[in-house]
Amino acid sequence: MPREIVTRLLHAIAVCAVVATSVFVLIQCAPGDPFATALDGADVPPSVRAEWRARYGFDLPPGERFVRWAAALTRGELGYAASRHRTVAEVVGDAMPRTLLLVGVALGLGFAAGVGIALVQTRHHRRWQDRVLGALTLGGVAVPEFLVALLAMTWLGARWRLFPVAGMGSLGDAGAWPLWERILDLVWHLALPAGVLALAVASRVARHQRAALLAVMREDYIRTARAKGLGEWDVIVRHALPNAIGPVIALLGLALPSLVGGAVLIERIFGWPGMGLTLFDALLARDYPLILAAVLLATVLAVVARTVTDAIAEYVAPRRARER
Amino acid sequence: MTHSRFRSLALLFCLAASSACRGTDASPTGGVVVVSSGADAETLVPPLVEGSQGRVVTELIYDKLADVGPALNTFGDVGFVPKLARSWDWSRDSLTITFHLDPGARWHDGQPVTAYDVQYAFRVWTDSAVGAVQRAALAAVDSVSAPDSRTARVYFRERTPEQFYAFTYTLIPLPAHRLASLPGAALRDAPEVRSPVGSGPFRFVSWAPRTRLELSANTAYYAGRPRVDGVVFVFAAQGATVAARLLAGEADFVEQLSPPDFAQLPRDGAVRAQPYGSLDYTFLLFNQFDARDAARPHPIFADRAMRRVLTAAIDRSTIVRSVFDSLARPAIGPFSRMQWTADTTLTGIAFDPSAAARMLDSLGWRDTDRNGIRERAGRPLAFSVLVPASSRPRQAAAVLLQAQFKAVGVAVTIEQTDFNTFLDRARRGAFDAMVSGVRTSPSPRGVRDWWGTPGPDRGIQNWGRWSNAEFDAQLDSALSAPRVEELRAHIHAAYQAALNDAPAIWLYEPRFFAGVHRRLTVRALRPDAWWSGIVNWSIDPAQRLPRDRRAPATP
Amino acid sequence: MAASTWRRLLDDRAARVAGGVLGAAALAAVLAPWIAPHDPTLQPDPVALRLVAPSWQHPFGTDPFSRDVLSRVLHGARVSLGVAAGAMLLSVTLGAALGALAAVVGGWVDGVVSGLVDVLIAMPRLLVVIALVATFGTLSPWWLVALIGGSGWLTTARIVRAEFRDHLQREYVLAARALGASRWRITWHHLLPAVAPQLAVAAALALAAVIPLEAALSFVGLGVQPPLASWGNILLDGADYLTSAWWLVLFPVAAVSLTVGSALILADRLRVAIAGEEHGE
Repeated sequence: MPREIVTRLLHAIAVCAVVATSVFVLIQCAPGDPFATALDGADVPPSVRAEWRARYGFDLPPGERFVRWAAALTRGELGYAASRHRTVAEVVGDAMPRTLLLVGVALGLGFAAGVGIALVQTRHHRRWQDRVLGALTLGGVAVPEFLVALLAMTWLGARWRLFPVAGMGSLGDAGAWPLWERILDLVWHLALPAGVLALAVASRVARHQRAALLAVMREDYIRTARAKGLGEWDVIVRHALPNAIGPVIALLGLALPSLVGGAVLIERIFGWPGMGLTLFDALLARDYPLILAAVLLATVLAVVARTVTDAIAEYVAPRRARER
Repeated sequence: MTHSRFRSLALLFCLAASSACRGTDASPTGGVVVVSSGADAETLVPPLVEGSQGRVVTELIYDKLADVGPALNTFGDVGFVPKLARSWDWSRDSLTITFHLDPGARWHDGQPVTAYDVQYAFRVWTDSAVGAVQRAALAAVDSVSAPDSRTARVYFRERTPEQFYAFTYTLIPLPAHRLASLPGAALRDAPEVRSPVGSGPFRFVSWAPRTRLELSANTAYYAGRPRVDGVVFVFAAQGATVAARLLAGEADFVEQLSPPDFAQLPRDGAVRAQPYGSLDYTFLLFNQFDARDAARPHPIFADRAMRRVLTAAIDRSTIVRSVFDSLARPAIGPFSRMQWTADTTLTGIAFDPSAAARMLDSLGWRDTDRNGIRERAGRPLAFSVLVPASSRPRQAAAVLLQAQFKAVGVAVTIEQTDFNTFLDRARRGAFDAMVSGVRTSPSPRGVRDWWGTPGPDRGIQNWGRWSNAEFDAQLDSALSAPRVEELRAHIHAAYQAALNDAPAIWLYEPRFFAGVHRRLTVRALRPDAWWSGIVNWSIDPAQRLPRDRRAPATP
Repeated sequence: MAASTWRRLLDDRAARVAGGVLGAAALAAVLAPWIAPHDPTLQPDPVALRLVAPSWQHPFGTDPFSRDVLSRVLHGARVSLGVAAGAMLLSVTLGAALGALAAVVGGWVDGVVSGLVDVLIAMPRLLVVIALVATFGTLSPWWLVALIGGSGWLTTARIVRAEFRDHLQREYVLAARALGASRWRITWHHLLPAVAPQLAVAAALALAAVIPLEAALSFVGLGVQPPLASWGNILLDGADYLTSAWWLVLFPVAAVSLTVGSALILADRLRVAIAGEEHGE
């Protein structure tokens, strides 16, 4: 196992280098620079533009810039995000925890709800419960996420005022509230963005989990368990689920990294400026140090997530052998 | 004695009106104004600020020496309102202006605002290591001296009607005692500028970029403390969310409601739309040169007759009513109606599609193959229109333009690109036509940057590279005219020359409507700076909300 | 062996319904110019007839430019489904080719492909496409097919690689090898037909992924260029009027959801059919 991790890490580093280089080339080919919009004013003379470019090294040839960026990276420096007037580390340091919170909560909720739905569907296979939940989870995947978010923001937020429209916390003296009130406030603000994201995750998880459970339910050892006189819930939860949950966990491991940057529209609509929105803005601003940092982070996260989920799956899977 | 015309009675007028011009005239009401905004400031360093949100915040934190009055005059010092400078006088030759600072003016750390701060700020604005965005506006200023700590003397290289405006509108005094030890290049991200100490009506409290920015009332403000306790800006990138925050009661103020927002305004009157002027105008710009080869004239738009015909084919009032309903007016020419130099007596090219069709026929563009598109010498009458993906109204205008052009046999393709690509192609001249928008300043100077023949001193933003000697000459005469009447006459001639030559189709001028919550009372909103009267805004004490509570002050 | 899988699928009612919906959508796309009641770009009166609620004249109402929404949804099917189908074909072909290459050749080729998949799968696809869009400037539908398809081969490559490696260990392949069949002959005659149902699943899933992607891309303004209608840009026009003109949102969303849902059901039923095959039911 450790050896496998090392190989995978080495692979990832090699691929990372390739990806970083191609991303850099891509951004170089894209028209515009980080100062285009900042210096959009009609009264901004070309000399000021030249000064800004020189200030951040944009007057150097692309090759040299890339080498400098890579050299700084080996010293642990991620560089300066010119479009934000801050270091990349600061920008990412702000955005990453927000995203991890949002995506973490959504994944946790979505996973739990999805598995729960699948269990109910399996228990009542081909009955109305199965069909209704099946239709709902199908809808959860088929209706575009940004539209659900927009509807939730407009109706649950602005119209009915059940939840905050946007933002990550209450205004006023919220900073001085006792801890548990601050946590409650955070949860209240998380409700819509995490809820919408969790809905999408739950639908996908439920569909996969149901398929996996039904496949397992045909196996001999389930018949054996039933023959032992166990209740149907016991059979499903204690015998079928441990053997069917592995692939779903693996799926989550795959989904996590792309969710970290992929919740752009949710973050945009609910004013939750995490990594997705940061990366989106950085792309439009051609702010390559920021883009490259985000790409590297996503890669690291992908390796970590895969390793962890593989370990969990391996921990869960051996039970199958035991049961037999 | 022309220089005397640059002076004015504004000062006396303002003194008579007591502090109304500068600070508050009534008791504090408390409460915190929450402003919902679509974009955050990128930086709070005044010389580096370009975006509008950055201007809002820095101008609440820092005061200028003097500010433009409600009439937005920029000629001489007529109507200017004293700020950090309590008064000023002109030398006989108008090449020197001496500002007398308000003795009560203090930085937020308690230090007095001095003439050295003005001197230091000038040094910052002209330091190429800083790269001040608006440096060009100070080109006519030679130097700043400080005869004593409360007197700043500004020496100009040349005399222009707008020298007072150019200096006071651009330069923001900075706290030399905190920043002067920093080298210019370090000013961009030094801790001292991250939590700015200013001289204005609001103190900086905290900033979480792209999330929230908090300011609190400066109770020691020299012109009287703001009536509210603070201002909080909350940000969301999605336009619908910005408005939804106001409709949900989570925010008190939105700078600009979009036409679709109006359909959503609650019927109970919890939110009202407060109109104010805008300095924006939008136009379809023709490129005078070939999109692929910048040295060759454009095959369609280089011809003046062709530009005029295309203009006559467009029904701007339909575009305005479809996109904006009543929230905009057709634009008149290369300016905004809100500028004091605006001219509504010009003769434009009238909408006349049948005349346009006849003219196209006579110019040799005929639909010989009956496909609905005209050709000449085997070449179809077609061009592309570049639009930024970030602007919904401009996209809508492009779709309507496309249909109207098609009606007279002109094929238009729309190219929607992200804003960065849009600007890059605009600067390189890699476009046929583009829907471009301008936010002008109160001064007519900007007209020269947008429409003057491209060169070192003008036409920086003249992406279509239109060039008209008559226009340039008349505009130059206007901008150095010693008398307002002369200025207006030259401006009229310049604008008329532009309209006759049709370098663009001026499409619309939006009317801005701020969204204001019932509990908030705002004063008249100035077109170039809605926040200018914010010290006089008030919140109904009977409609306080939990969010108005302030955390106990930390020393 | 695959033939019985297809037969099983045809016997499945849910699969038939889903296939029917997809077929109907495809038919609507092909026939749009003949069945659409109006020209989808025609603006009869962009002031008086804008945002008119559904009526006999305009069963799906009109949009902010007074264009007929029904006609736009029908013509939008051409663009949205066309782009989706093209991108799906491209991504599945690319994915199958790379996955097969990795499994059959193995060694460093496998390392490169698997490594690429491992890393690229961590990149949010919407942002990858936006980066490509920003680089290449404006977008014709063909470019969209290339960009969306080119960014979507990862999952297919994973599935095909895993399936191939599984099959390569099976007796029939080992037997064929022993008989001296070349690697490519085995790939073409044995492995590809064997994974065809899985490829079909991947294709259905790719279709289900691409349609919302096009919509999201349009939602940020970087999708199909006006006046061409796509489900995504009809939605974009409607998103501004969520509370005042429901018809602008409901119909394109219904179109998107029905096709995506059908593609998903088809993928599900296919999987069941394959599983049934393996279980010998």
